[in-house]
Amino acid sequence: MKLDIGGEETFEVPIEALWSALNDPAVLKKCIPGCKDMIPEGGDRFKLILNLKVASVGGSFEGEISLADKQPPAQCNVAVSGSGTLGHGSGSATFALNAQNGGTSMRYSGEGEIGGLVAGVGQRILKGVAKHLVKQFFTSLRREVTAASPAPP
Amino acid sequence: MPANGSRPWSPIPALAEDAAEKVRITYEKLPFVLDAEQAIQAGAVLVHQAHGSNVLLDKTFVWGEVEQDFKDSPRHLSLRVKWGRSATVRVHHDVDVGGSYGVKRGIKHTVLCGYLTRRLGFPVRLIEDRLENMRGGDAHGPERLFDVDVAFDDTGIVRSMKMRALENVGAYAGRSPFQLGKPIGAIVGPYKIKSVQYRAMAVVTNKTTQEAVRGFGQGPTNLALERTIDEVANALGLDRLEIRRRNMIRREEFPYTIPSGTTYDSGDYHTVIDKVLANTSYEELKKERDRLRADGKLAGIGIAACLEPSGGNATFEALLNPAITTSTFMDSCRINVDGLGTITASMHTTSSGQGHETLLGTVIGEVLQVDPDSIRVTRPDSLNSLPSGTPVGSRMAIMLGGAAFHAAHKLKAKLTAIGAHDLGIPPERAVYKDGTVSERDAPQNKRAWGDLVQIAFRNYHRMPDGLEPGLAVSHVMQVPTGGTLPTADGRVQMYPCFSFEFHLVLLAIDPDLGTPEILRYRVGHDCGTVINPKIVRGMTMGGIAHGIGAALYEEFAYDGEGQLMAQSFMDYLLPSSREVPAVEIIQHVTPSPNTVLGQKGSGESGYLGAPAAVANAVNDALKPLGVSINTLPLKLSKLGDLIAEARAKKGN
Repeated sequence: MKLDIGGEETFEVPIEALWSALNDPAVLKKCIPGCKDMIPEGGDRFKLILNLKVASVGGSFEGEISLADKQPPAQCNVAVSGSGTLGHGSGSATFALNAQNGGTSMRYSGEGEIGGLVAGVGQRILKGVAKHLVKQFFTSLRREVTAASPAPP
Repeated sequence: MPANGSRPWSPIPALAEDAAEKVRITYEKLPFVLDAEQAIQAGAVLVHQAHGSNVLLDKTFVWGEVEQDFKDSPRHLSLRVKWGRSATVRVHHDVDVGGSYGVKRGIKHTVLCGYLTRRLGFPVRLIEDRLENMRGGDAHGPERLFDVDVAFDDTGIVRSMKMRALENVGAYAGRSPFQLGKPIGAIVGPYKIKSVQYRAMAVVTNKTTQEAVRGFGQGPTNLALERTIDEVANALGLDRLEIRRRNMIRREEFPYTIPSGTTYDSGDYHTVIDKVLANTSYEELKKERDRLRADGKLAGIGIAACLEPSGGNATFEALLNPAITTSTFMDSCRINVDGLGTITASMHTTSSGQGHETLLGTVIGEVLQVDPDSIRVTRPDSLNSLPSGTPVGSRMAIMLGGAAFHAAHKLKAKLTAIGAHDLGIPPERAVYKDGTVSERDAPQNKRAWGDLVQIAFRNYHRMPDGLEPGLAVSHVMQVPTGGTLPTADGRVQMYPCFSFEFHLVLLAIDPDLGTPEILRYRVGHDCGTVINPKIVRGMTMGGIAHGIGAALYEEFAYDGEGQLMAQSFMDYLLPSSREVPAVEIIQHVTPSPNTVLGQKGSGESGYLGAPAAVANAVNDALKPLGVSINTLPLKLSKLGDLIAEARAKKGN
């Protein structure tokens, strides 16, 4: 099944700080929900190991994440694919960063396709779960970037 | 794993599932096709490259002067009706659930278990979990698109029909294309349509393979026919009940041969309708509907009149595939009286709780005039069975009941011969009554049950010449009206018996929410002589609940990417006691001349007409809005949108 995500977030850190956080595997590892490991595979490609729980179904997930079409510090495409006990999925999203009053706004949009067990039994809640996971990602990201680069007074 | 670790299998399913999770699969996404109409387009994605096309069957039958009848008829009408992919979902697995409902015939399960048993060298059984059953098991039934054209006159007499049925079979040939074949035996329903053109198309797609479902394709065809009859009435501004009465075969016209070559055994359709209307008249029901409409509800009356072919002779297989030359579909019964005089009867096909034990006890008890409760009934063993078909096609009352009847008569004749011989009288002067044989003119001269058993088991010197010792009899019954193959022009007798059902439904739809509610449900049912009223009632009631599910709720829905969206009961909605109303069943008996007791089948009763009745009620309810819907299931979401759109257009 198809899944669309999209939205806008604002961060009280300069655009360069947000850009470097988004390109730092150590930060991403902390922010991607359920991420157990992110293993560099050369260039901007990483092997991703996740442990996720969706409703009553939990499972491990092994995949790949890659960054492409980088235009520092303004835009980047992210592609994710993988499979695991919950099913399989793939997706891509575009992040666009904009400096704004000393802070940064980020617009993101993307679409994914999910198949297998989780799509069959969990489709009613998948949209909600996806939203929740995205929110969790940004909450962690905000915490990480704010700690690393305190907001201007 | 077993301690010795030598067996290549896990006795614990969960362990095997955990092991399966270790398997990593890389998917290469291939093109796919989901829709039957797309699958028959030139250049469509091929499900099986080697087959060269997605079409499994495309056969057109013409029975009678169709083109001439269309030319001669002043009015024509076209209608498109779709039956959604639903099923007989079994909540329980391997227990006596009242029937096998078609779905238990899943061929791949038998093949898989047989293969694994040979490969492993020990017996294997397959028990699917819910997910396996819903997405890859034997759950999916017909998904059929009908294009119907009818030719009729100004009085509503339907003269001719052209029907194209396009079946979405799923990925492999399962029980379709044959499910397009059975409806040929009742292709005109209870109506005197003179000529018919029927194009049956079965098409493979990337959905789950279709298996048989209760009625073997007859329910969808009845829906298409009954929706059409309603629309003919609407087109002429005639009453829908009146138009049915005008077109129906009359009692005195039976046996009646329909254009496709089947002769209907018996029926009294007009009387069944009158009986259904005896308590509440049709006019009062219309007033009730109009009162609901005045209160702001969308209310409608649903009518459906249809046939239940029963007895199953499987001739449609030969009709669709001339390589098949099967002309029998037998069933058997063995009766054995043991040395103590106890009767044991055996059936020779599997049972799923349809009441076959009760059937055998009742029929044999009736013939031998003994208490049915004193008769033991055993189930079959595949290595120890007489020739038998299966309990498909509502056939067991006719076939197992028939075999039991004949076997019991053989036993009665033997007992009578033994008694007469021991009394020293010719058999024609002996009378069998309640298990005792006596002399007709001197009833004090008699041999009771115990005496007859004693002679048969121990006193061979007292037996008449030529009789075997003991009291073991069996009968293998040929299906009534079977034994012939189709003619070159595609005509054939299909099924020996035709039960009739007439549904009358009052339904209201909340105009804001789109929720349908069935307020009244009455059904007239005629399955000939009723052997056990409780079983017939249970079949009909269950069938109506099943049909309400197919009409309003149940669907194996797929998304545009081919992902099956309904794999659990969270998404595949079954009607509950909230949605199924109280049903008043009115039984009528028109005996069949083709069966031993006048019985007809009833295992598919209710289900074959309920979807049509509910769909007709919904459409009658929508009529004031000027819209109609012919795609089952008529889900709340679809109804809600349709109503909202129609109201917006009307400006209220």
